[in-house]
Amino acid sequence: MPMNVVYQSTYYTLYQSVKERCFYVDFGQKLVRMSLCQLLSLRHKVLSISIEDHFDGDLNKHGFEVLMLCNKEHLLVLNTLEILDLKHMVEQGFVAMGLSEEREAVTV
Amino acid sequence: MKDIARQSMSIKVESMDLLNGQIKMEAHASATYLAMASWCEQNGFFTSAKFFYKQAEEERGHMMKIFEFLIDTGGNPLSPEITGINHDYSSIVDVFESTLEHEVAVTKSIHNIVKKARELGDIATERFLDWFVLEQVEEENTIRDILDMIEVTGTEGVGLQMIDNQVGNWIE
Repeated sequence: MPMNVVYQSTYYTLYQSVKERCFYVDFGQKLVRMSLCQLLSLRHKVLSISIEDHFDGDLNKHGFEVLMLCNKEHLLVLNTLEILDLKHMVEQGFVAMGLSEEREAVTV
Repeated sequence: MKDIARQSMSIKVESMDLLNGQIKMEAHASATYLAMASWCEQNGFFTSAKFFYKQAEEERGHMMKIFEFLIDTGGNPLSPEITGINHDYSSIVDVFESTLEHEVAVTKSIHNIVKKARELGDIATERFLDWFVLEQVEEENTIRDILDMIEVTGTEGVGLQMIDNQVGNWIE
């Protein structure tokens, strides 16, 4: 399956598959196929996570986030460092795809 | 390498985020005007209530226009969560003054998106918002005219009743 790397962060890699006209995200433990709509949904979910809450024991006791992706087909449990990296991958992935001009952290 | 992303989406994600914010703002305006209609009904300003029912519908129409634009451009429109709607007003003047404040805030927000779209070179979003820019001029003008009419009529004696009757002139 020929795929091009769009962006690679510390833990995650975003690929584009021209043949299938879709994207893949390698989450380490699994490779998830995504349409652009699903990627946009991932972007919204990830950028909506308040990372500040991870440093407040009352707001996020365990420092984990549960992410449901692709209409509840996939469930991921990520820690603070993984969330930070995923935020970075999503932001820079959209910049690499030419759909975003942002170079710094954005919030949605 | 083929550009699958660009083929799937024709605006920038920053514009999409701002337009989703605008969807929320229009929905908030619609809910606020419904609250104003409720206040008017409960305080005997029945013509003004009709005016605000119509305004509430219009704002929802604006929201849907943006929602559909995001669909057409391959974006991800989000159904807004609306909270904190004020239902308390001290007078009919307070209602219309709050309306003008609301419209000015909406205008500023639209202008901000136009500026950002221009900065991003997002011509589709910029052109799409042309209609909203002109619509806001009309919306602000309507409320200013009503406030002028209130000023001229005065709120003493039968003034309040006259004001309510005259608001009917602005219901299309």
